Amino acid sequence: MLTIALLRTELVKNLRRTRTYVAYGILMIIPVIMTVAIHLNPPDGHGEGRLLFLASQTGLILPAFALRVTSAFLLVIVVALFGGDAIAGEAAWGNLRYMLMRPIARGRLVFAKFVVAVFCAWLAVVIVVTTGLVVGTIVFGADPIGAPLSLLTGAQSNGDLLAHLGVASAYVAWNLTGVVAFSFMVSCMTDAPFGAIFAGVGLYFTSLILDAISSLGGIRYIFPTHYFDTWVDLVTRGQWHTDMWRGIALQLAYVLLFAFVGLWWFKRKDILS
Amino acid sequence: MSEPVVEIVGLSKRFRAGVLAVDDLTFSVDHGQVCGLLGPNGAGKTTCLRMLLGLIRPTGGETRLFGEKVRPSSPQLRRLGALIETAAFVPHLSGLRNLRLWWEAGGDQWSDADLEQALAIADLGDAIDRKVKTYSQGMRQRLGLARVLLGRPEILVLDEPTNGLDPGEMREVRQLVRRVAEAGSTVLFSSHVLAEVEQICTHAVVMDKGKLVAMGSVEELIGSSGSVYLEVDDVVAARRVLEALPSVRRVDDEAPGLAVAIDGGRRSELVVALVQAGIAVETVTARRRLEEAFLGLVEGF
Repeated sequence: MLTIALLRTELVKNLRRTRTYVAYGILMIIPVIMTVAIHLNPPDGHGEGRLLFLASQTGLILPAFALRVTSAFLLVIVVALFGGDAIAGEAAWGNLRYMLMRPIARGRLVFAKFVVAVFCAWLAVVIVVTTGLVVGTIVFGADPIGAPLSLLTGAQSNGDLLAHLGVASAYVAWNLTGVVAFSFMVSCMTDAPFGAIFAGVGLYFTSLILDAISSLGGIRYIFPTHYFDTWVDLVTRGQWHTDMWRGIALQLAYVLLFAFVGLWWFKRKDILS
Repeated sequence: MSEPVVEIVGLSKRFRAGVLAVDDLTFSVDHGQVCGLLGPNGAGKTTCLRMLLGLIRPTGGETRLFGEKVRPSSPQLRRLGALIETAAFVPHLSGLRNLRLWWEAGGDQWSDADLEQALAIADLGDAIDRKVKTYSQGMRQRLGLARVLLGRPEILVLDEPTNGLDPGEMREVRQLVRRVAEAGSTVLFSSHVLAEVEQICTHAVVMDKGKLVAMGSVEELIGSSGSVYLEVDDVVAARRVLEALPSVRRVDDEAPGLAVAIDGGRRSELVVALVQAGIAVETVTARRRLEEAFLGLVEGF
C-alpha cells in the first residue's frame, strides 16, 4: 500500500514536469524529421546501412532505424536524465529531507524512485518506436519484406516485423536500463543532479570508446555497451543473435550492481541537503 | 513524572571531513514545553535536529522520541512535524498538490489530513493552486508550516522558522507556535532571534561548538544576574560606590548614565548603596534579557 502510494507520488512528480514533456517531445520529433528526410532523399542502397535502406522501403522498419539513431545519443541523455535526477534532483530542491521525515523507509523510497525512472526511460523508447511506426507507415506504407528484398534479408511478414520490432525495442530499453541504473546510483550519492546525469552519459561514451579499442581484447565483452547494437539483425534479417542473450545478462548484472550500490549508499547517507 | 518526549543522550556527530559538529550533547524536552535551541552559527543546532529526525546518523549517543530510539524512518516520526531550515517543495507542482503528495507518500489518506487548519495557516488564498516556484520565500515558509501541521503533530521541531518572513509574518508564526503549545503540543524551536525565543519559549538549551552550554527555564537562564542602567546626579561618585560592591562585576559609562553588570545581587542593593552615599538616583532600568544572558554564556564558554 505504502509502496503504491510512493510510486504514484513519484510518477506524478515526473509526469507533471515540463522537462519530461520537452524530452519526450524531442524524441517524437526525431522520427518525424527522419521520415521526411528519407522520403525527400531516399537512399539508393549502395554504401549505406541496410537498416536505413530497409527503412525507406517499409514503415515497419523505420521505427527500428529511429531507435538505432536515437539510442546512440539522444535516448542515452534522456534516460540518464530520469535516472540522475531521481534522488539528487529532490535533494537539490531540499524536498528530500521532508520526504524522509514522513517517515518513509529509505529502501522503499529508492525502490519507488528507481522504478519510476526506469518506467520513464522505457516510455521514452516506446515514444520513439510508436512515433516512427505511425509516421513511417503513413509515409512508406506497411508492406512486409518480400521479394526481391527478401533475397537479401529473408522474408518477414508484417506480423514478424512487428514482433521483431517489439523485441528489439524491449532489448534497447533493457540495455538503456544499465545507463539509468548507473545515473541513479550516482544520484543516490550526490546532491547535484547534473553530475549524476553526466555520469550516466559519461559511462556510456567511455564504454563505447573503450569498446572500439580492439587491443583491449576480451575485457571488452564486459563493457556495458558491448552488446548494445546486436538487435539490428533481428529486424533486418529476422535472426535472433545469441549475443543478445549475453547483452541481457550483462545488463542484468550491471542493473543489479548499480541499484544495490545506490541503495546501500543511500541507506547510510547523511541527508544534509 | 512523565517521560521526556525528546531526549538527546550523549549525542555526537563527526563528519567525514573531521568536523565535530555535535559533541556529547545531552538534554531533554518534557511534554508541553516550548524549548528554544540557541547557539551561534555553527553551534551544531541544525545537525542536532537532523539527528533527532533520523536524517543524520550520530557517531555517538542517541536521540529518543517518546522513549524510543530514533532511527532513519522511525515510526514515531509520524507523531512529529518538522521544518528544518527553509521550507522546500517540488517546485513545478502547486502548493496544494505538494501538500497532498507529501501526505499520501507516507501511505495516509488525504481525507485524514487536517487540511482546514493547514490552509488557514498557509493563508495563500488562490495561490495555493499556483506552482510553488512562483511563491515568495514567505509564502513557501507559510506553506511549510502548513505541511508541518497536516498531521496534528504532538511535537513540533522548528529550525529557524521565521527565516525569510516579514515582521507581520514573524509575529503570526510566533502566535501559531503559542497556539500549538497551548493545545498541548511540545515545541523544540531553534532561532537566532533571541527576543523571539524569549517571547515564545518556556525553556531553552544553549549550545556552542557542538556542546551544551546551559539549559533550563528561560527565567533561570536570564536569572537574578543581569545589568542595570542607572542615571544619577554624580556619575563619578556613583561609579566609585558601585565598584566597591561585591555583586557588581563591571561598570561602564553609557552617557548620560552608567551600565552596571551584576552577578547574583539584587538591583535594589545598588540603589540602597547609592542613596546611602548621598547620590540621587533618577533612573533605574533592568537591562538583562536573554540576548545578554546568551552572549554571556557563549562568551564565557
